[in-house]
Amino acid sequence: MIHLKKVNKRYSDNTYAARNMSLHITSGEFVSIVGQSGTGKTTLVKMLIAEERLSSGIIEIGNWDITNIKHSEIPVLRRQVGVVFQDYKLLPKKTVYENIAFALEVCGVKQGNIDMIVPQVLKVVGLEEKHDKFPQQLSGGQKQRVAIGRALVHRPKVLVADEPTGNLDTINAQEIIDLLLKINALGTTVLLVTHNKDIVNRLRKRVIAVDDGVIVSDQKTGKYII
Amino acid sequence: MLVSIYRTTKFAAQTFYRNLWLSVITIFILILTLFTVSLVATMNLLADRAISAVEEKIDVDIYFADNTSEENIIAAQMFLEDVPEVKNVRYVSKDEALEKFKDSHADNVDIQNALEELDENPLPASLIVQANELSDYEVIMQQFNNSEFDIFTEEKNFSDQQAVIDKLSAITTRVYQVGVAVSAVFIVISVVMMFNTIRLAIYAHREELAIMKLVGATNAFIRAPFILEGAFYAVLSSAIAMSLLWLVVLFTAPYVNDFFFGYNFNLDVFFYNNFLFIFSIQFLFSLILSVGSSMISIGRYLRV
Repeated sequence: MIHLKKVNKRYSDNTYAARNMSLHITSGEFVSIVGQSGTGKTTLVKMLIAEERLSSGIIEIGNWDITNIKHSEIPVLRRQVGVVFQDYKLLPKKTVYENIAFALEVCGVKQGNIDMIVPQVLKVVGLEEKHDKFPQQLSGGQKQRVAIGRALVHRPKVLVADEPTGNLDTINAQEIIDLLLKINALGTTVLLVTHNKDIVNRLRKRVIAVDDGVIVSDQKTGKYII
Repeated sequence: MLVSIYRTTKFAAQTFYRNLWLSVITIFILILTLFTVSLVATMNLLADRAISAVEEKIDVDIYFADNTSEENIIAAQMFLEDVPEVKNVRYVSKDEALEKFKDSHADNVDIQNALEELDENPLPASLIVQANELSDYEVIMQQFNNSEFDIFTEEKNFSDQQAVIDKLSAITTRVYQVGVAVSAVFIVISVVMMFNTIRLAIYAHREELAIMKLVGATNAFIRAPFILEGAFYAVLSSAIAMSLLWLVVLFTAPYVNDFFFGYNFNLDVFFYNNFLFIFSIQFLFSLILSVGSSMISIGRYLRV
């Protein structure tokens, strides 16, 4: 599903966000990528959605080599890789329903299909009752559910969650992790980028540890070891 | 296709309403830009017409000696008419000159009596010469002075006129220079103001743009509502600026037309005759300005 081969990312000031990174994630896996802040986890996410270009190496997603992806192909990639961020990135002037529908509207999906898909997604993320609320009327956990719902509307093969629990309390954080597990159980490959030790240790799923841009461990059912 | 057009229109309308103040300010600045530039252009036009009117008043009179035959004067007229710089030559005979003189002093009994006392007409025949351009008079007079007809002349008022002509030429040139400079300054200020206002409007949308990119919108789809919004700004602002200009013309036309009385210029007629042209220029200018500014400002947010 996701294949990284000797990926390097070097910035102009000669600092490295990724050094010789190689990994393979198969379809349907749930993988936690852990590490302290500034170790290159978010850069990895950005490279997966072509927000950052790699300096050398190869990245493939579902047999698609995105190493030198054309600008015109980036929207297609982003419909196949759903992303969720710590700060939710919701539009404050749109309701829950509109925020989710927005992702389909901007891609030219017909209104009939939108009216069919959005309620299904709202059901998956458990926000049917809140469909007409604006982001400021929601809790942190609910906002993150909206963001996950928006990432799911394109039925992506991969869902990347970059510190999705960073702004949440323990209960809300666990609810979000449960939701990600549910989405994974439905067949979507999930990449959870986090530095939350407790969550990773409870998951008992594959854990890849990154330190200073280097993969330092890759455990099948691992724990947070850094 | 229809879905895209509908969504582009919907997003453009949403952007407009949800940032109403910013939209209003953008339109206001655009109106100010168009109105200012139009006003400066109108001032330039009026200055140009005023100078043309004064230029029309300028002519050079060539007076002939009493013993010059009419054939020679007509030959001199034909010679002058063949000079390319000459616009018009009019022959005023001795009798016509006397008639005019009498008419213009009809109220002055002393002059009328003095003329009665004289046995013969004291006024000379003359040719009144008008040039195409002010600067042409010198060339025309040089050619005439070198011709065979110069010996028949008694007097030319060119030297009297030359100072006025030189002064007027200098003023004309200066008025054009000032007009162009003022217009250029206003256009530059307006363009910078407009560009910054649009940049601010786009900056207010930066989050939305980033999210659109994140969820897989194409650059063309993201740009389209801003192009539509820019076109809407252009239509609205040029219509309002045109209405304001029309009001200015309506209120100032009586005074301006009075000033140009007797000359072939009428401000309101000029405005109505060129209405479509002025509106098209305003629309194109504001369209290029608003859409161009949007596209430049939006570019940096589309790179991610």
